[in-house]
Amino acid sequence: MRVRVTRSSAFTLALLYVALGVLAIGLFAFPLWYAWETSVEDWRIELIREDTQRFAELFNQRGPEGLADFIDQRVRLQIAGERTLLLTDPAHHPLAGNLKAWPTEIPDAAGVYKVTLKSVGMSNRLLAVHTLLPGGYALLVGRDLSRSAVVETRFWWGLGAAFAALLLVGLCGGFLVRRAVLSGIDRISRSASAIVGGDLTHRLPVGRGDSEFDTLSRTINRMFDQIEQLVHGVRNVSNAIAHDLRTPLAELRSRLEELAISRPPPDETYGEIAGAVEDVDRVIGIFNALLRLAEIDTGVRRSGFEPVNASALAADVVEFYRPAAEMKGIELASRTLQPDVTLAGDPVLLAQAVGNLIDNALKFAPRDGHVAVTVARDPVGRPIISVEDDGPGIPDAEKDLVVERFYRGDASRGVTPGVGLGLSLVSAVATLHAGRLDLLDNHPGLVARLRLN
Amino acid sequence: MKLLLVEDNERVARFVTKGLRESGHTVDHIENGRDGLFYAVSEAYDTIIMDRMLPGQVDGLTIIETLRRSGNQTPILILSALSDVDERIKGLRAGGDDYLTKPFAFGELLARLDALMRRTKAGGGEQVLVAGDLQMDLLARKVIRGERTILLQPREFKLLEYLLRHVGQVVTRTMLIENVWGYHFDPQTNVIDVHISNLRQKIEGESETPLLRTVRGTGYVLTAGV
Repeated sequence: MRVRVTRSSAFTLALLYVALGVLAIGLFAFPLWYAWETSVEDWRIELIREDTQRFAELFNQRGPEGLADFIDQRVRLQIAGERTLLLTDPAHHPLAGNLKAWPTEIPDAAGVYKVTLKSVGMSNRLLAVHTLLPGGYALLVGRDLSRSAVVETRFWWGLGAAFAALLLVGLCGGFLVRRAVLSGIDRISRSASAIVGGDLTHRLPVGRGDSEFDTLSRTINRMFDQIEQLVHGVRNVSNAIAHDLRTPLAELRSRLEELAISRPPPDETYGEIAGAVEDVDRVIGIFNALLRLAEIDTGVRRSGFEPVNASALAADVVEFYRPAAEMKGIELASRTLQPDVTLAGDPVLLAQAVGNLIDNALKFAPRDGHVAVTVARDPVGRPIISVEDDGPGIPDAEKDLVVERFYRGDASRGVTPGVGLGLSLVSAVATLHAGRLDLLDNHPGLVARLRLN
Repeated sequence: MKLLLVEDNERVARFVTKGLRESGHTVDHIENGRDGLFYAVSEAYDTIIMDRMLPGQVDGLTIIETLRRSGNQTPILILSALSDVDERIKGLRAGGDDYLTKPFAFGELLARLDALMRRTKAGGGEQVLVAGDLQMDLLARKVIRGERTILLQPREFKLLEYLLRHVGQVVTRTMLIENVWGYHFDPQTNVIDVHISNLRQKIEGESETPLLRTVRGTGYVLTAGV
């Protein structure tokens, strides 16, 4: 699977990182530059003001001519250096200095200005202080800024280089990360495609680590487990429906068809019709069980949960079944380890679940056998209802299967009545109550343990 | 008895109507909700049999709610293909008196109708229930037959009480499971038959007239012992 570089999310991510890096550098450099710039400028202005102060004192002592001489002298001796000096009379006629005329860029008011004096043929930027001396004389003292411009330029170049390095490293890193991410995703994608293609047993490779990819693979694998189980379940249910629902329907159909063809005497006809009604009742029974299962599976009944006393409920169901047990010579005992085991649940469904378990136990317990119903709490305090019998039990290999819909142990199919949905229903009720149904060995017999929550 | 049947399925309606007429009832059959509501308010019926899902704008529950709001207290038996316990509760809450899931056996329908019609006649406030020489004192919780005192377990007492309240009527196994035990499932074993036969042994001594009769394919009836 190839992804266009610019469209892959890894590339976008790298770009985003680079952009954030650039922003970070900018945010870091700008205040620094600003602080540096202002403090250097303050220092420059300070120097110029000191010069100006000296000139002004000279002006006060020796008058305009004295200052003009002094300035001319300095200009001539080139002590002025990079300084720009100009003294003018009130009409802005130059008296002394290294400018031929008053630059028009400098306003009449005194102050600090940062200008390029193009009007007098200068091309460098100048920091100039304009001072008004007594008598309307004007003094302009300036310093060339071009020398510090070099430093500034270097600063900007340095910043640019940092940006470039960040961009390069960021993009390379992004590319590498992208390759690493893509190979992981490719792996998952290829495996997933294989599974979607029909190989439901295939699973994603999972490393030993706790990386995001391993976690993701594990999660996806769990999802596939569930899907496989569901598909398996659906397949089983369709097979089971085919068998358990079609059989009575087929019997019914042939019964009715035979009646229509052979037209037996009325007595026989009525017998056949009664048999047909029984066939239909069997089908209806299966449908009702399926509908109830579907209803439980949706979980909507959870909204109707109410406080249920499991001990009393189990004792009532035991009383309900006791006469039937006695008829078969089975001793049905109710043992309550804790008197008031209560939970939030659906009493109708819980009674049916316990009823199904007892039904089942009575079906398989031998004559003169024993069935015991126990209500207790596990160490954590969750209610447990278990039904024990001393019948043949269920082989380990079939324990998981019997909970599946329509499954009936081969031993029971066709021998004992029932539609093979009883334990599925108990299991569904347990799930509804955030619990589970465990089937254990009773040596001999079966313990059906209904854990609830 | 005069009955109103509101049911859109023709075959089911014909089957029910025929059966009810043969049992000696007068039946008006209506096919849709609007007419059903019209008949229900304009004539006096002993019991109404109402399908839940009906063609037209008016469904069964709406009719029942409308009737109850207008003060009509005619007993109503709801017929429905919706079998969830929740749906059942919804139907009873709307004002129905009993709820029967389709498909049903005719015997079951007839037994429930009988129970409904008798219930409205009997006040339900009696202290002593009688069938022939069998007497149940509800306050003293004592049962005697002739001179003989019968000792019953609490659940047997409840079972006999239910049968006595419906003396002379057929009660089905489902009715007993629902009303005596409060369960809503079908036990796979013949539990009810065993309970009944245990009760029968206690109330019918060797020389006494049989009171509790089995109605084949449907249920039981407690007779006054003629």
